[in-house]
Amino acid sequence: MAALSELRTPRSGPPAVNLPYETGGPDDALVRAAQRGDRAAFGILYARYSRMVHGILLARVPFSDVDDLVHDVFLEALPRLSTLREVSRFPGWLASIARNRATDFHRRVKPNEEFNEETTSAEIESPAPSVNPPTHSSAEAHAVLDAIRSLPDAYREPLILRLVEGMSGPEIAARTGLTHGSVRVNLHRGMQQLREILGRKALPPTGGGL
Amino acid sequence: MTAKPTDPEQEKMMQENYLWDASGAPDPEIQRLESLLADFRQADRAFVLPAGMPVAPRKFRALLVGMFSLPRLAAAAAILFALGITIFFLRPKFEPGTGATWDVANLQGAPQIGTKTIDANQAPVKLRVGQTITTNGDSRASLSQFDLGEIRIDPNSRVRLLQTDANRKRIQLDVGTIHAAIWAPPGTFVVDTPSAVAIDLGCAYTLQVAPDGSGTIRTTLGWVGFHLNGRDSFIPAGAMCSTRPKLGPGIPYFEDASSAFREAIPKFDSSLENSPTRIAALSTILSEARKQDALSLWHLLSRTNPAERDYVYARFAALVPPPKGVTRAGILNLDQSMLDLWWNSLGLGEISTWRFWEQSAAPQPTPISQQPPQKKQSSLKDTH
Repeated sequence: MAALSELRTPRSGPPAVNLPYETGGPDDALVRAAQRGDRAAFGILYARYSRMVHGILLARVPFSDVDDLVHDVFLEALPRLSTLREVSRFPGWLASIARNRATDFHRRVKPNEEFNEETTSAEIESPAPSVNPPTHSSAEAHAVLDAIRSLPDAYREPLILRLVEGMSGPEIAARTGLTHGSVRVNLHRGMQQLREILGRKALPPTGGGL
Repeated sequence: MTAKPTDPEQEKMMQENYLWDASGAPDPEIQRLESLLADFRQADRAFVLPAGMPVAPRKFRALLVGMFSLPRLAAAAAILFALGITIFFLRPKFEPGTGATWDVANLQGAPQIGTKTIDANQAPVKLRVGQTITTNGDSRASLSQFDLGEIRIDPNSRVRLLQTDANRKRIQLDVGTIHAAIWAPPGTFVVDTPSAVAIDLGCAYTLQVAPDGSGTIRTTLGWVGFHLNGRDSFIPAGAMCSTRPKLGPGIPYFEDASSAFREAIPKFDSSLENSPTRIAALSTILSEARKQDALSLWHLLSRTNPAERDYVYARFAALVPPPKGVTRAGILNLDQSMLDLWWNSLGLGEISTWRFWEQSAAPQPTPISQQPPQKKQSSLKDTH
């Protein structure tokens, strides 16, 4: 008889949990265990890093494709994990896979198919607009997301991890392998540029005062 | 990639505490952006490996194959033996409950160990058996041990370290929320709450305890056992379960079940036997159950009276035919070996893991409520 767990459909109910992704965890041991083929360890790495991967992808590809690509990134990482010699480099290594996956995504998207208006020759370097957004989001939310995506790489990733994924600066540093100083500066400057862009677009304030 | 900030910029940057780690005075502009962008946040989603995905990476498996030649095995055995002897004589003396510590890190605000505040920028501090971590409304902390895992403690929580030895790590959650990601062997990590004991069976989960002592557990990876005085509930990934003081764990259910199904579960759990509410709830549960919801039906078998159980059996068997060796008569009599066989056929976890934990847990863990322990007869014989 087929195992029931194989018959489970994707959950559509209320969100279950937010898994730990904080700093200070012994990720090196987890990575080594995953390298030995421990599925549970890899599952925990997924729980810890999927938010970072989600943020990196969201900075580059349409929202509607991000969830599937997160899954793809981890499926790609699993068989290659044994080639990672320095386990402490896992965060940066995984982030690179995510960025490469986003690049591949844009290479495979046919011209005039989805991004005919915004796609340019520099598309790989600049993000796709937030097409097919969630129905509950306002136009303003999409405008803000697109504004963040128009920022330089170094700023848009930490800003999305902070403002969208809800990670703190120290968490971003731990998960991406960057120093606290770099993340702090990038958040600060990214936020400054975002304010300027949003100011130019003159979005109507709804109580917060952008 | 990042240029060095100028002095005025540095000064301004250091004032942006809310942007940095959500501490300090909230910045309404950033709060508004966070609220606007929340819909784009990653939804919790389980990671599913395809069935054909190898457990061990190919390179590693090839290495294993190469290693299994007789001379190499003999040499490896000799080395292991020598290593074992060395480790045995050089091993540190371990005194359970005295020197073993866990690392505590400040994630936000000002969590405390006893009355001592853990500063935001200090290195992780040690937590010893008997000490308590408290978080207020603005603080969070993490608790970790290298060979166990990591526990994140949310605001307004109180956690006490009860035991930490080679075979058992145990904390007490009086109130609040913890998120646990555990890689220690199943059955090693135990959490006492006022209304049940949560036993990790290889997983990641969130456990909440309300001020009245009731609790909720949600599992994301693997599965968890919820236990109180002979009443057991097993909660696999994607499922949740509530527990109440004196009654213990209720019926677990998958969170993607229909809303009618999910609403009927607590009604069944909290209503009196033969009451109209209970009968209506059971009827809804049986009619709404999908194949996946066999998880709940399996637990219902031991929480129903004989007349109700017959209906549960019929629906369960229609959704998941009983495996070889499981009979209707046996299930109606709550034959434990048959129930175990049927559980194993669900593919949600190997119940021998749990039975092993039950046997090894001597004395039985006692929840922190003060009620006197009852003699355990059969984990599957109680109804309410």
